[in-house]
Amino acid sequence: MTPPLPAHLLESLAAAAVAEGLADAVFTRVATPLGRLLVAQGPAGVVRIGFPEEAEDRLLAEVAGLLGPRVVASDAELAGTTGALSAYLEGDSDRLELPVDLRLVHAPFRRAVLDTLHADVPRGEVVTYAALAARAGRPRAARAAGSACARNPVPIVVPCHRVVPGAGGVGSYAGGPARKRELLALEGAPV
Amino acid sequence: MTAVALPPFWTLVERHGDELLVHARRMAGPGNAEDVLQEALLRALRAYPRLRDSGHLRAWLYRITTTTAIDHHRARRREVPMDDVPAGTVDPEYDDGGFEALIGPLPDGTRAALHLRFVEDLDYDAIAERLDCSPAAARQRVSTAVRTLRQRLTP
Repeated sequence: MTPPLPAHLLESLAAAAVAEGLADAVFTRVATPLGRLLVAQGPAGVVRIGFPEEAEDRLLAEVAGLLGPRVVASDAELAGTTGALSAYLEGDSDRLELPVDLRLVHAPFRRAVLDTLHADVPRGEVVTYAALAARAGRPRAARAAGSACARNPVPIVVPCHRVVPGAGGVGSYAGGPARKRELLALEGAPV
Repeated sequence: MTAVALPPFWTLVERHGDELLVHARRMAGPGNAEDVLQEALLRALRAYPRLRDSGHLRAWLYRITTTTAIDHHRARRREVPMDDVPAGTVDPEYDDGGFEALIGPLPDGTRAALHLRFVEDLDYDAIAERLDCSPAAARQRVSTAVRTLRQRLTP
């Protein structure tokens, strides 16, 4: 077994690639109170955040399929993004305003649900699946709103943890209900 | 968007980077290996979206690392004494047999070992079968061939 490549070589390769405009997307991994998150970003914003349980290969392949195959890893290039995410999750900041690129969401209504959620449901509030569906323009599509949240490519930043069942409880979450409760508690939401 | 589904580039770097560094070390020496590998991977990244075939990516990276090491040797010399190596055949941007042109002038056995390993991307078991020898002997022949190639390129 040969040792892995030195970190400085990888970081310097990624920096050269970004400087030359060769990177279609940049990703990194960041340790947070919710576990190690994978964060991928393209020219328009954060395109994917993955929980530790998600297969990295598949997640990066999704990103490559959308933005192009020249996907590189760099801590330094994403320092602004991961810094904001860490500060929010560690409770040092109550704002998380990062540009997102939701083009991994292909279905128009699912996209509308996530756009509405991102724009209209602030920290400290929760909304039911039915109410979110109504706000996105289809009052009877609570189920579709649920699947939009379940498949949210940019969790935390697009706050699908703030969407809860009308019957009570926190409901399900792509990152597991424990993480959802943790996020809602951090935000002081009434659940 | 690319015509073929290429894996995310960094997946290749994480999967093959360590062995490519070993290869760069053999080709260019320990002091130059990291510079050579970084340049090789940048060249690969520049060419990556134009690749038409997602097979043999590992062999492709080996070839680019080899040609980058060769260019490194050339750049460190005032003139190129290797009359038998055609200039301009080692453009890594195109997978058009530049490496084969480079190894063409080598003795048959040396050339065969390099071809099976870095063009056909065979493992040592498969090379052993083709050369009708043991896997250990196959490994030895490839290793000797790499050394021969490097010696030819070193002043």
